[in-house]
Amino acid sequence: MKKIHLLIILSGALLFGSCSDDEGDNPTPEEPVEESVSKYIITARPIASEGVADYILTVDDLKTGSISTEGNGIEQDGTYRYYVTGNNKFFSMLYGQGNPGAVTTYQLNGEGELELLSDFQSETVRAFAPVKEDILTIKITPSADNPYAYWYSINTNSLTIVKEGQINVQELADKENGELAFFSWITPKDDKVYLPYFTIKGTSEGGWGTDYPNEANIAVYSYPEMEYLETLTDDRTSFIGRYFTVGLSFDEKGDGYAFSSAVPQNSNWEVIPTLPSAITRISNSTGDFDDFYFDLEEASGGYVIDSHIYAGNGKFVGVMQKKSELSTAWGGGTEYAIIDVYNKTFKWISGLPDPTTITNITGSYNNFVSEDGSTVYAGITTETGSNVYSIDIATAAATKGLSVEGGQITAINHLETPASDE
Amino acid sequence: MTKLSIIIISFLIYLSDPTGLIAQTITVSGSVTDGGKEPIPGATIQIVSASTGAVADQNGLYTISGLPIGPAKIRVSCLGYLTIEQDLALGENKKVTQNFVLQESSVDLEEVTVTGKTMVREVKEKAFNVGVIDAKVLHQTSLDLAHALDRTSGVKVRESGGVGSQMNFSINGFRGNQVRIFIDGIPMDNLGSAFQLNNIPVGMAERIEVYKGVVPISLGSDALGGAVNIITNSYAKNHLDISYSYGSFNTHRTIVNAIYVAPKSGFTVQLNAFQNYSDNNYKMNDIDVADINTGAYYRDQTVERFHDTYHNETAIINMGVVNKPYADQLLIGATLGQNYKEIQTGARVSAVFGEWNRKGNIIMPSLKYIKNDLFTKGLNVRVNANYNAGYEQNIDTVNRRYNWFGQYKEYPNPGGENSYSLYKYRNNIGVTIANFEYKFKDRHTVALTNTLNSFDRKGEDELNPDNDEFNEPRKNLKNITGFGYTYEGESWNASVFVKNYFQENKFTKVTELEGYNQYEYTNTVNTFSSLGYGTALSWFLNDNLQLKASYESSYRLPESYELFGDLINLDGNINLKPENSNNYNLGSSFWIYPNKNNRINININGFYRHAKDFIRPRLNNNQVKIVMDNLGSVTNLGIDGEVWYQYKEALSIGANISYQDLRNNTQYEPGQTVESAVYRDRIPNEPYLFGNGNIAYTFKNLWRKGHRMNIEYNLRYVHAFYLYWPSQGSDKFDIPEQLSHDLTLTYFLNDKFQFTVEGRNLTDKNLYDNFSLQKPGRSFTGKIRYNIF
Repeated sequence: MKKIHLLIILSGALLFGSCSDDEGDNPTPEEPVEESVSKYIITARPIASEGVADYILTVDDLKTGSISTEGNGIEQDGTYRYYVTGNNKFFSMLYGQGNPGAVTTYQLNGEGELELLSDFQSETVRAFAPVKEDILTIKITPSADNPYAYWYSINTNSLTIVKEGQINVQELADKENGELAFFSWITPKDDKVYLPYFTIKGTSEGGWGTDYPNEANIAVYSYPEMEYLETLTDDRTSFIGRYFTVGLSFDEKGDGYAFSSAVPQNSNWEVIPTLPSAITRISNSTGDFDDFYFDLEEASGGYVIDSHIYAGNGKFVGVMQKKSELSTAWGGGTEYAIIDVYNKTFKWISGLPDPTTITNITGSYNNFVSEDGSTVYAGITTETGSNVYSIDIATAAATKGLSVEGGQITAINHLETPASDE
Repeated sequence: MTKLSIIIISFLIYLSDPTGLIAQTITVSGSVTDGGKEPIPGATIQIVSASTGAVADQNGLYTISGLPIGPAKIRVSCLGYLTIEQDLALGENKKVTQNFVLQESSVDLEEVTVTGKTMVREVKEKAFNVGVIDAKVLHQTSLDLAHALDRTSGVKVRESGGVGSQMNFSINGFRGNQVRIFIDGIPMDNLGSAFQLNNIPVGMAERIEVYKGVVPISLGSDALGGAVNIITNSYAKNHLDISYSYGSFNTHRTIVNAIYVAPKSGFTVQLNAFQNYSDNNYKMNDIDVADINTGAYYRDQTVERFHDTYHNETAIINMGVVNKPYADQLLIGATLGQNYKEIQTGARVSAVFGEWNRKGNIIMPSLKYIKNDLFTKGLNVRVNANYNAGYEQNIDTVNRRYNWFGQYKEYPNPGGENSYSLYKYRNNIGVTIANFEYKFKDRHTVALTNTLNSFDRKGEDELNPDNDEFNEPRKNLKNITGFGYTYEGESWNASVFVKNYFQENKFTKVTELEGYNQYEYTNTVNTFSSLGYGTALSWFLNDNLQLKASYESSYRLPESYELFGDLINLDGNINLKPENSNNYNLGSSFWIYPNKNNRINININGFYRHAKDFIRPRLNNNQVKIVMDNLGSVTNLGIDGEVWYQYKEALSIGANISYQDLRNNTQYEPGQTVESAVYRDRIPNEPYLFGNGNIAYTFKNLWRKGHRMNIEYNLRYVHAFYLYWPSQGSDKFDIPEQLSHDLTLTYFLNDKFQFTVEGRNLTDKNLYDNFSLQKPGRSFTGKIRYNIF
């Protein structure tokens, strides 16, 4: 059980609160380790300019060996797909450019093979995360003509949409010039979901630009009701998270660490000056921002954070980008560091490829963290190929592992055969 | 304004045409029959002295007008008959009737084969690799031009549904804008949704020429992989025919072809009008229908399309004079039309819509001028110009989500099913093509062609009237100049040519300034220019065997919408470069005539293409819209073959098959130093083996003289192909093998009436062109055609 919950945490966003709750309610019995088969699920996308599909592959070991998509793997329909694991099920979602598409669900059978559970139809969404027994997805608009975000709760047992609703993002942002709130990601905690957002003009001229670059906002909703509770605001950083990127993670104590990439932009998609890239904190006790502040630009010597992966015990793997080379708000960092928020330390990770040769990295929420939090597995594509690197959190040293031939690693997940007593 | 001015100009031309000023001309008409008084269709009647002529129609009748007063030598020939020559003195009567009787010949077939050739064969004999569809034999069917093309070797038409649906076609693996479409030599670029190949009936065309690979410079465009030239009906005498068909899915089609030629003045009016209407409410099988609330699928349902009505109405009118000293043809006209289309699905079958629709119109004045032997003998001039001021509108204002049962949920706030829009725009496209050709010493021809395209988009969205973006300039100018030389020898032809491709784009660069919603607008101009060249050779080894070879280095310029976007789902990319391709073609044609009753024609063509900087869609930076970019390189090695056999005028059997080996030639993807996993893999989602079979039999003088019945069977085959890269994955999506059978039965009553019954896809197979988007199942159509005169 614990393993399953960890998976939920690590593959999607963070949800430690609900995890601990569940554990408190149901003390985990003996894990049926011998009977259970487990596999790592790698999704890979061949690098080509057209006709590209993702392939789902299974492997036993991320530290060594080689796999290829050539003549191997389950083809995923539709070029752009996103993945999330919830309730020990693997969800493959189509990014359909605003149109609905099929979500395909797999689980592992007794032979360690992926078995198609079901598929059902869902909307194209720009944020998704496992929340309790559901996967909460949000379709977010970048257009002021139609300033509504639509949310859908997909139940991981029934594999259907069980609840839906809409949020007026113009009202939520409450700006004089009518800017819209655009949620960067979803972070659940207890009976709430935290939706950090940035504001955009959303007009055809203003586009993704903002006149409010120097503020951080997090909308808080109850779950599963999705009733608006409050907006947490802070003026020490720019917004939390980034487009399609998680910016808030809760630790084991229930404190939330909020990462600002410092990338507000104007209508030409140019990054505009703002406050330094930094980490702030939402206190477990007060439920609001406290005085914690860790300036990442200072600690790293001029880098901003693109994305982060929470390993555990206050330690994060951060993907960093040199601020002087920052040209867009859409990411592109290739340097990795260990950030310890308890001790406010920053340490570059050794053993990774030369950052200038890296052409693609696996998105933060699609990387994988070992059960004990000691190792983070990150997918990296360089000019010469793709590998899974295992990052040892304690020593900040990385080792080249599994080679994925011919394609980018789009996600690393883990499944086990459902226990027979469930 | 435009319509009025056309009328005025035409009227002025009519007035300024006093009959005395112009030399009187004579019309010769009559019949060509054999010894048993049976008509000889296809016989060639040549006025040797005036370099003009005609081909006898199905009843052996011909008309040649515009002949000068004086002696004339007429030569009449047809395959299997002795050629005869006759001298006529023209002058006394303006209308001369001259009938010819040809004697069958059993010897000296070879000579007759060359002289007795049809227009279709004459085109085929050009040095270029060209396939010709004789559209007249398809006039009794309810086919549109796209489906007629689909029966040609090497050509594949793909559609997303029924009547009026989105279509694209490929020639030897080239697709989209790499191939161009012309009507009477005028590029059909961006004529708007009211004028697409799959909504123009085949009855509009006399023949269709399909150029594979190298395109002659007279079609002066930037076709990279081939071109289709549709030659419309050109009657030399008064003519009026009407046809109407009704079929499955409440499909109605009407065509009117009319022409009036004033006997004295040469004043002429041509009208082609047509109409299509269809509910397209055909059944879709094995559809997973999502519950409107939970998303759960109801498996394998059979559902009827409920929001797919399409209709268009178009008229093409040309007025002017023919056979004048200053012009062989001077016509001013207009294409006027409108269309309406409901959108049932998105790119995937899972995206269902119930309200979204598009409409558009075409208002296109045109000018056509042809003069042969201008100033001096052998100097021929042709000028065509047109301007399309029509609009297109995207109407998506109902905020609902539909499923395949037609159920929906509606959201209270304003919005659309795809994107909230009432965007309406005019592309204001002008095309001018000028052609000069000078033939000297009988064997040498130099030609100069210039094609100028202009584009100036203006658009607005009443839902968002303050949007200044719509006021920014979106202009482009495209000019293609071709110069060529052709030598015509006794048994061989050769031509060489060069082409200059030029493009200039004007647009606004918007820069955001410091302060509250402040922007700076800078008008910017981008230009580029490229040079292409090529050669084409043909050689008659003997009268019945011809070899052809051609090579070209050609470019395809970016389209306006690729540069400027469509303001809906496509972002512009103003920095697109032209695509470039090297094309090699080798072909041969055999004509075999064992005796006068049996005719066989075999064509085999091989080709190799190497194309770079493909213009292909990708998602933009933040994955919200599509943007076009120069990506990748492919090679294509292919072969297509065609066999055609005819027995008398009764039986014809034809078959063609095409194989194309399209391979990805991008060895290293950008940023990679290891070889691409799909290098040399077959390009996915593209048919690579397909063919057609056709058999037709005509019963003559059935029951009564003058009654004929024609029965035709057509088979279409497409080999299965993969949706994604064939080498990748083990559990894959594919588009299954497809086989469809069509049967057409036509009854002719004295060539005045035709009655046709047509069954398409008789076995009711599930047919797909694009993955998961089904095409109509079995359908039946009845058609009546009446030749009034």
